[in-house]
Amino acid sequence: MAAPLVLVVLAAVTVRAALYRSSLAAFIAERVEVASPLNAWKRVVEGLALLDLGVSPYSGAVFHETPLIIYLFHFLIEYAELVFMITDVLTAVALYLAIQDFNKVVFKKQKLLIELDKYAPDVAELIQTPMEMHYIPLKVALFYLLNPYTVMSCVAKSTCAINNSVIAFFILATIKGSAFLSAVFLALATYQSLYPLTLFAPALLYLLQRQFIPIKLKSKSFWLYTMQYASLYLCSLVVIICLSFFLLNSWDFIPSVYGFILSVPDLTPNIGLFWYFFAEMFEHFSLFFVCVFQINVFFYTIPLAIKLKEHPVFFLFVQLAIISIFKSYPTVGDVALYMALLPVWSHLYRFLRNIFILSCVLIFCSFLFPVLWHLWIYAGSANSNFYYAITLTFNIGQILLVSDYFYAFLRREYYLTHGLHLTRQDGTEAMLVLK
Amino acid sequence: DQAEQFLRSGHTNNWAVLVCTSRFWFNYRHVANTLSVYRSVKRLGIPDSHIVLMLADDMACNPRNPKPATVFSHKNMELNVYGDDVEVDYRSYEVTVENFLRVLTGRIPPSTPRSKRLLSDDRSNILIYMTGHGGNGFLKFQDSEEITNVELADAFEQMWQKRRYNELLFIIDTCQGASMYERFYSPNIMALASSQVGEDSLSHQPDLGIGVHLMDRYTFYVLEFLEEIHPASQTNMNDLFQVCPKSLCVSTPGHRTDLFERDPQSVLITDFFGSVRKVEITAGALPLQRRAPAPESRFPEEELATEPLKYAEQLPVAQIIHQKPKQKDWHPPGGFILGLWALIIMVFFKTYGIKHMKHVF
Repeated sequence: MAAPLVLVVLAAVTVRAALYRSSLAAFIAERVEVASPLNAWKRVVEGLALLDLGVSPYSGAVFHETPLIIYLFHFLIEYAELVFMITDVLTAVALYLAIQDFNKVVFKKQKLLIELDKYAPDVAELIQTPMEMHYIPLKVALFYLLNPYTVMSCVAKSTCAINNSVIAFFILATIKGSAFLSAVFLALATYQSLYPLTLFAPALLYLLQRQFIPIKLKSKSFWLYTMQYASLYLCSLVVIICLSFFLLNSWDFIPSVYGFILSVPDLTPNIGLFWYFFAEMFEHFSLFFVCVFQINVFFYTIPLAIKLKEHPVFFLFVQLAIISIFKSYPTVGDVALYMALLPVWSHLYRFLRNIFILSCVLIFCSFLFPVLWHLWIYAGSANSNFYYAITLTFNIGQILLVSDYFYAFLRREYYLTHGLHLTRQDGTEAMLVLK
Repeated sequence: DQAEQFLRSGHTNNWAVLVCTSRFWFNYRHVANTLSVYRSVKRLGIPDSHIVLMLADDMACNPRNPKPATVFSHKNMELNVYGDDVEVDYRSYEVTVENFLRVLTGRIPPSTPRSKRLLSDDRSNILIYMTGHGGNGFLKFQDSEEITNVELADAFEQMWQKRRYNELLFIIDTCQGASMYERFYSPNIMALASSQVGEDSLSHQPDLGIGVHLMDRYTFYVLEFLEEIHPASQTNMNDLFQVCPKSLCVSTPGHRTDLFERDPQSVLITDFFGSVRKVEITAGALPLQRRAPAPESRFPEEELATEPLKYAEQLPVAQIIHQKPKQKDWHPPGGFILGLWALIIMVFFKTYGIKHMKHVF
């Protein structure tokens, strides 16, 4: 499978290089959907310039990147385009390898369950075969590399690409089963942007499953392993944060990065839900609503963990989607990451109910974003409500997409154990409804 | 006596600032008030270039006006105060407290046209007429903001300190209008109001054809009074104070003259409402002096022995274009680099096992 992957990588690199040289690069770099205050390239350059002038880049509300990014780009700033292209390629390769391993795991588990007779007799058409699973990793890499969102994010040189690659390596480490590496990469991902903290739960569930430790609250081995993983994660996080202190000998970066992510002071429009609310809110209530909005990101972890404890990788996917919808400064790069994982669940296609409408919604909204931005900012004949309407529609589309996949997944699981033709007690055909 | 008349008032030009602050069709009478005063003032000689007319709404071309292009002040449509030559300087939403205060104090952006400026000097007599809806200490502008009597008094003080008026006559026709002149503290201001604090100023007559009240009582009687004035009349301010007694006006008009230097008896109506020029006719010729020679320079300059700089040599071009790019001054501290790479190597070896160490070393 190496040759097609190399071809895909080459095609992606060509597309990106072509776009870098064209005039679209400057246009894309300043679009708010692609560059948010957290990961805009302009701000990285500004921060490094401030550093050259002897001023801390965190003074003033310009620079919100972590010190490790400062270190990385201090030496690589002339090769920024190459760095971002290589980052995208690394992300795609990491996802490819991860999904390859995951497919093996899935297949093994499926075989085990068939032999244990856990499946109903008539579900032969629902079982995944190696033939159809063969091309999934390539499709994942393709979906990531050639997704217009990723390409735009790369051309804009948004550091979202770096966040995505760290999360991709985290996924790879988790699926390979190495708790230590997974904890280290999760700590790095949390350090970069705060929200991958919620990915702790799916990673833990997956590693427990891999170690064959049952997930019972009273089981001692469960708690032991959890403590081990949590302590690895927390120790690496603390080490990374302390190390960043020594870069500039100050703790300035903590309010600038994490304080900024949590308190959302910058209300530049983006594709998220925060900016409009807080632009029109009275000061008195803003703290309360900031808390409510931030809790919304972390809130779904525990219910999803309870429901999806047998399927941690799907849980990871849903959690990634929730992060990129509800985070404080989302960009299309975040959307691209979880969309890259969609081919893994392509076998759920027959159970998806609204996929046509949702894909239309997402595509139309992506096209309408620049149109309504132009109407609002340049033509003056629209206002922020129009842009926010498109933002809302886009996010609703994403949420419905995720919940559609969730429904399809659960439905397939139900059919697997209860058979395809469901009957009610009196023998008539029954319909499965998600309550 | 003639000399006394000549020296009676020290003004050389007249200005008028006429403000109507209400919008909407049912406030027709306020626009009619202002236009009546405008008409009188123009008739008595003040040109449009010296009148700043601020009307908050357009009654003549209002879609509800059954007689378009007219604003009547008497019932039975006897007197159309709108006419062909009304020049409105601030119209509609431009009539704001900010614009009014800017006009008075002269703090106007440089792009404002002349017709919107009050270009008065220290020999100007200014008539300021305001009408609209008011209360105790404030006047409402456009249903959205208010000007307080304190602000107005401060604006007049600014005008006094900038020498923007010689004498100022302030007339206000609103409910509780006397409260607006309570706070004045600058010299040479005379003020008249249509009602005392606690009283409402009432409107005069509704016209059944147009459907609204056409004028306010006070201004109606003032207009009647002014119709008798011509540029040469000697009527003085005391007569103006008697206009509209309580029997006709229902409210009690008030006035304030304590800040005014001259006796109101000696102040002519035309000092404020008209633009009466004082002309001195001489019989003899006035000699014009030759221009004085240029004054000697007081400070002899020392000659410095410098080469004259040629234009092209002003910047050290050779230095600039051969400048090397500045070296980046900041480097990450050594401890950080060491720590980071030590961590990375530790992670690497932890995952891949110690056995690779011997291949490295």
